[in-house]
Amino acid sequence: MNSNIFVIIISSAIFYGTPLFYAALGGILTERSGVLNLGVEGTMLIGGVSGAWACLHIGGSAWFTVTMSILVGALAGGLVSTLLAFLCITLKTNQTVAGLAITIFAGAVGLSSYFANIWKVAKTPVPRPIRTMDVFGLADTPVLGPILFRQTSLTYVSWLLAIVATVYLFRTRVGLQLRAVGESPQTADAMGISVIRYRYIHTILGGALAGIGGVFYSLAIVPTWVDGMTKGAGWIAIALVIFGFWRPSLTLLGAYLFGALQSLSSTLKARGVDISGDILDALPFIMTIVVLVLVSSRFAHRRLGAPAALGVPYEREER
Amino acid sequence: MSQSAVRMTGIVKRFPGVVANDGVDLEIRAGEVHALLGENGAGKSTLSNILTGLYRPDEGTVEVDGEQRVFSSPRDALEAGIGMVHQHFRLVATFTVAENVVLGESGGSLFMNQDEVATRVRELSDRYGLAVDPSARIWQLSVGEQQRVEILKVLYRGAKVLILDEPTAVLTPIEARSLFATLRAMADEGRSVIFISHKLGEVMSVSDRVTVLRGGRTVGTVNTSETSTRGLASMMVGRSVEFERVVRDNPADTSVTVLRVDEISANDDRGRASLHDISLTVGKGEIVGVAGVAGNGQRELAEVISGMRASTSGRISVGDELVKSGKARSAIARGIAHVPEDRLHTGLAASHSVEDNLALKNYRTSTISKFRLLKRRAIREQATALVERYDVKTPNTTTPVRLLSGGNVQKVLLAREFSALPKVLIAASPTRGLDVGAIEAVRERLVAAANEGVGVLLISEDLDEIMSLADRILVMYEGRILDDVPAEGADRERIGLTMGGSNVQEVAK
Amino acid sequence: MRSPIRLERRLEQPKWLNWAVPLISLVVALVLGAIVLWLTGKNPIDVYQRIFERGFAGKKAFSGALEMATPLAFTGLCAAVAFRMGLINIGGEGQFYVGAIGAAWVGIAIGSAPTGITIALMCLAGMVFGSIYAAIVGLLRAKFNTNEIITSLMMNYLAGILLNYLIFNSTSYWRNPDSPQFPKSKDIAARADWNTYKIFGVEMPIAFLISMLAGVALWFLYKRTRFGFEVSVIADSPKAARYAGIRTSSTIVIVLALSGALAGLGGAADVGNFRGLLDAKGLQMAGYGYTGIVVAALARRNPITTIFVAIFIGGLTKAGYSLQGPDFPSGLVGTLQGLILFTAVAGEILIKYRLRTNVSRAAAVAA
Repeated sequence: MNSNIFVIIISSAIFYGTPLFYAALGGILTERSGVLNLGVEGTMLIGGVSGAWACLHIGGSAWFTVTMSILVGALAGGLVSTLLAFLCITLKTNQTVAGLAITIFAGAVGLSSYFANIWKVAKTPVPRPIRTMDVFGLADTPVLGPILFRQTSLTYVSWLLAIVATVYLFRTRVGLQLRAVGESPQTADAMGISVIRYRYIHTILGGALAGIGGVFYSLAIVPTWVDGMTKGAGWIAIALVIFGFWRPSLTLLGAYLFGALQSLSSTLKARGVDISGDILDALPFIMTIVVLVLVSSRFAHRRLGAPAALGVPYEREER
Repeated sequence: MSQSAVRMTGIVKRFPGVVANDGVDLEIRAGEVHALLGENGAGKSTLSNILTGLYRPDEGTVEVDGEQRVFSSPRDALEAGIGMVHQHFRLVATFTVAENVVLGESGGSLFMNQDEVATRVRELSDRYGLAVDPSARIWQLSVGEQQRVEILKVLYRGAKVLILDEPTAVLTPIEARSLFATLRAMADEGRSVIFISHKLGEVMSVSDRVTVLRGGRTVGTVNTSETSTRGLASMMVGRSVEFERVVRDNPADTSVTVLRVDEISANDDRGRASLHDISLTVGKGEIVGVAGVAGNGQRELAEVISGMRASTSGRISVGDELVKSGKARSAIARGIAHVPEDRLHTGLAASHSVEDNLALKNYRTSTISKFRLLKRRAIREQATALVERYDVKTPNTTTPVRLLSGGNVQKVLLAREFSALPKVLIAASPTRGLDVGAIEAVRERLVAAANEGVGVLLISEDLDEIMSLADRILVMYEGRILDDVPAEGADRERIGLTMGGSNVQEVAK
Repeated sequence: MRSPIRLERRLEQPKWLNWAVPLISLVVALVLGAIVLWLTGKNPIDVYQRIFERGFAGKKAFSGALEMATPLAFTGLCAAVAFRMGLINIGGEGQFYVGAIGAAWVGIAIGSAPTGITIALMCLAGMVFGSIYAAIVGLLRAKFNTNEIITSLMMNYLAGILLNYLIFNSTSYWRNPDSPQFPKSKDIAARADWNTYKIFGVEMPIAFLISMLAGVALWFLYKRTRFGFEVSVIADSPKAARYAGIRTSSTIVIVLALSGALAGLGGAADVGNFRGLLDAKGLQMAGYGYTGIVVAALARRNPITTIFVAIFIGGLTKAGYSLQGPDFPSGLVGTLQGLILFTAVAGEILIKYRLRTNVSRAAAVAA
């Protein structure tokens, strides 16, 4: 029963979709404040390599090590995006180029690979990977077991985060102010809201979430550090934010859809289905382009909820 | 009555290349409507931005209720009871009225209680006659309603001093009258209202006292009851100015139609229908004024005629030649010149040099390029000649236009458009934001063009300008032309009513 | 909250800033890199000295720099051409692969022909393939307003998958049937025609000369032609361009196609002048497309400067490869390149704005 192929596809979609969701949720928070972070890919990699390092060096119980690794990954991601925040918010550089710089700096052949080398974490399996858990002993329940009760702790936390983020954005005062900063920084500023503070905090928070997404790769998916192991997940996450109309709930669904596409080739191959792996590997990238084309006409963009001031540096004394 | 609510002394604010305020003094009493009068660029907006904490003065002091204050942010100013209604509204379009009103309120619970806010908003709007639905989203509201939200926002925060920056610019005369009643009600409660304007008539009718600024300095403060429009005007510009109806040397020849617009419909940027079956004609040498409150389709009309925007139906022709819909090249080739509202970023490429901008429309012609290569020398020669002829003040022809003053920016644009010897000229708010000298120069150019036989479509929100220049006046409202009257002896009151959409379908025609 | 740094828009941009700022950016990047090295327990002076020796000192090292500079010059021009219109084409990587595929196809097919013809045909194929691949991005942008950054990036991954498919996972026209164990492409017979000239003892690949010609041609295109004028107006203000009757949509497609053609030309050079076959793994390892963005940014989009910057970054990259080992970790050169991009981007701000500190102003007020 449990080996029903659809159950496997769905449960692995959730597994592979989890890091995408973390990165995309980070993207939502950052973009809602009006900052476009194109450095997600690099930020994830730095998070991943730092998490792997922590896992190799922090002792204690398995639970403690894993938690610390995740926190270290989040911290590293936060630090990298502080750099982005400084460039985009304080120096008001072009946000797309700054994000690209982050990805080249931190990316597959940059700092993450350098750290992996000097910390000697490359190709060493992490001792305490993030494993799926058996919740309430229900993991073997037919159909629902593998989907709902045999996931990783980070997956369960991500469900909680999706709810928390939704309430935060749409029900709290701080969330209202955050959205105002992203929609119309002039208005927010005139109402006494610190545009700079909101943008810094949410850019850094977004980076921390991307870092956790990276840790999921090095501690759960592989679980060994490999240079450039996210293979474009950061970019897909950026597209997911658009796909999810800047809302956590829809983005969660989108992440699982892309998770399914990513896992499809290995799942089908393991089941002996004869299909070209290359075509399946190409699917997430083709889908991303298709999605972008569908939602990117100027009208659609605004109607779907893109923050109006996204990517525009805020300058008060403009004359 | 003599208690001063705000006292600003010796305010100096410099921006790169300009001194916007140069030792300004302003004293506001509790319970008065105080007008701040001055031309564009006199320093009114800078002064109010200092008072609301948006800018910090380089020199000078601000006292509120007799206590010296330094505002480092709008929040500080709001907490001291000073609130501002900006000319360009500071509203989040996708939020509800209630959300906009509570935005930035410090303290309060973590979660929002929309109902409670709505109740308080309703209370305030009843008290001041500012009717608006708290649960409506801003983008659904009319401009007048949006302005009410701005005022409510400030009142909600308990402001004792309200600053309104050119509040009537976006209102119909009737809406403006109701705004004045609201301002009066607030002043009667002991609040102070600072009313920023450059329109003398309004200032005379609404204010108790007037402070006049010129060139970044205070000219003086007078009681409204002791002055007159004429007196204020000469304080404002330093000499007496009067705009009277222009007498043309060479009157329009309406027997020859140069521009014909036939049942044109078009959409705005959001894809909503904004022009509905507009038809109009402009005769040879005729100046046709299009009056209306901003945002009633004037911009779309100008863009459709000049080929920047595609029409959804209808035809446009110059003489007997059709203009292809949405093709600016076709419009240029047919002889349509266009002076757009947004001069610096639509009419010109701001970071490009004066000479490049002067060649922006004729770079494809054989005088400027050959075999698709540019003739740099020809571009420079053309620029040198035009700069001379149109009296553009610029260090040289390679200076980027964004470094020029507003008046000279407009001269560059006019030089290019007029020198193309057009048959039709579309001028959208051609004098907005210019100082008096530049305004007069632009008006003279328009009249001169008409004298030479160019058909001019003058789109302006400034009714005085249209009344003094146009031969015929069209009134636009919600994408339709509601009225078409000769300017000579036109009834101001009726035009004002029509601008607000009042039904005058049975116009003599 | 008031940030300690304040930016004030410059009214005039002094000319000397145009070369001073990139130089300062470079120095700052090297200083930042030294800090990273020092923090991670390396001796920065030692590392930089070795990079300089391997990358630039002597004829042999400089020849290596020019070889590595060649693909970077093409990808740098590819990025610069798009940047000039405010488009960000990070698809240079994929366009480079696709250009290589096209050139390899022609190279394998023609076997032997007179020298000039093989080179010309391979270059043409690379350009056509690269430009078509990039034009897709341009069409999506022009027709649907689809963000060119993400689409061009996704197409990099797709091009990589295509390369793998052609060489590793199929029996395509490109794949060498004689080597089933170690999949690789057929050899390009025409590779012998791609000369390398010796000038003062420095080896100069013919492809590098082609890139120099391309740089000059682009400079001319942008400075002197109607097309260049139109591109610069669109970059300055799309509204003004529409107002002046400039056809923005088709210009976007043409600029991206031109950009892709340059990357594709680089791919042709890689196949013909350097590797002599279609090296699927090697191409993907090299990441020329991404490095090209660094080159273009540091060169401030100027096509001629791009060539010189390519030599510099080329030497740096070459040194990185040849030094790689336990005490010269991989990733170091990439990190340095990233830092250079950061400081180049931040440097743009120094050209536009004057930096002021609020601290000194607060002190002045207090005094």
